[in-house]
Amino acid sequence: MNTKKIIAVILGFGIISLFIVYKIYNKPHVNVSDAKSDITITADQIINDFSSDETKANRSYLDKIIKISGVISELKVVKQKGIITLKTNHDFGSVLCHLSDKASQKINSLKEEQTLTLKGICTGFLMDVILVKCEIIN
Amino acid sequence: MKIIYTILMCFLFVNVSNSQKQFLTKNGAITFFSSTTMADIKADNNQVLSIIDASNGKMAIIILMKSFMFKKALMQEHFNENYVESDLFPKATFKGEILNFETIKNSETKLEVKGSITIHGKRKEIIIPASFTRSENTIFVKGEFNLLLSDYNVKIPSIVSKKIAKELKVTFEFNHKPYKK
Repeated sequence: MNTKKIIAVILGFGIISLFIVYKIYNKPHVNVSDAKSDITITADQIINDFSSDETKANRSYLDKIIKISGVISELKVVKQKGIITLKTNHDFGSVLCHLSDKASQKINSLKEEQTLTLKGICTGFLMDVILVKCEIIN
Repeated sequence: MKIIYTILMCFLFVNVSNSQKQFLTKNGAITFFSSTTMADIKADNNQVLSIIDASNGKMAIIILMKSFMFKKALMQEHFNENYVESDLFPKATFKGEILNFETIKNSETKLEVKGSITIHGKRKEIIIPASFTRSENTIFVKGEFNLLLSDYNVKIPSIVSKKIAKELKVTFEFNHKPYKK
């Protein structure tokens, strides 16, 4: 009787821990469209922050969900994925928003010179500030 | 009159070729694969910046480590936090020279690029074979090579060492366009 109980308890623990490990292993990616944005900012402001002090800007923006607004300067599609360039007052830098698969399908409804708000994850600064997995808000 | 016209055209032509000295792409693609009997892992980065100076064949590439997208969120987290330490080393770079750059034709030309890669703060000299195709307003580059994790001080804990290859296969594809402001 006692041994049976012990076996049952051990089995129970085993199953629960297996389940937890499985859950952690298959943890989903952040869902940008459902998640609340951490920071709301304009394209001008974010490029200024990155070009004046990149290390500081990295600390405040990287991996954050950013709601960004600006004027579209270029629209293009590379390998079925949409890329929106937002204008800035900076000399050669701009903000590059790489759209999610879902948002890429809506790119045809957009026009250059249009003001747009997007939500995406910031991965850093090269010549431009880069946002990935962007969703179009309006 | 005709002579003036010719001279003018010459100047225009020189100007055009001058303005097309630099070719770049802001959405180059780099993918790496780790393949072991236990697991296959793949990560894509489509935000690579690559610049070619067509006047001397110099090439520079900058990669944001956080732009590598994995299928599993947990793997991406481990990659950034534990293995390449993206907060400390947010960028990987390549700087080098395309050997025999002037021989590139408008069909696939196999060449070598000699330079140094810096990943995880560690710099290493390397020669990478790549194929180039040049047309009037594009320089297309693609290729693949292998990379040893130990060369860049990337330590993999023994508990997952069977799932992560010691040598990664890296493929790249850049479609450079003339740079214009």
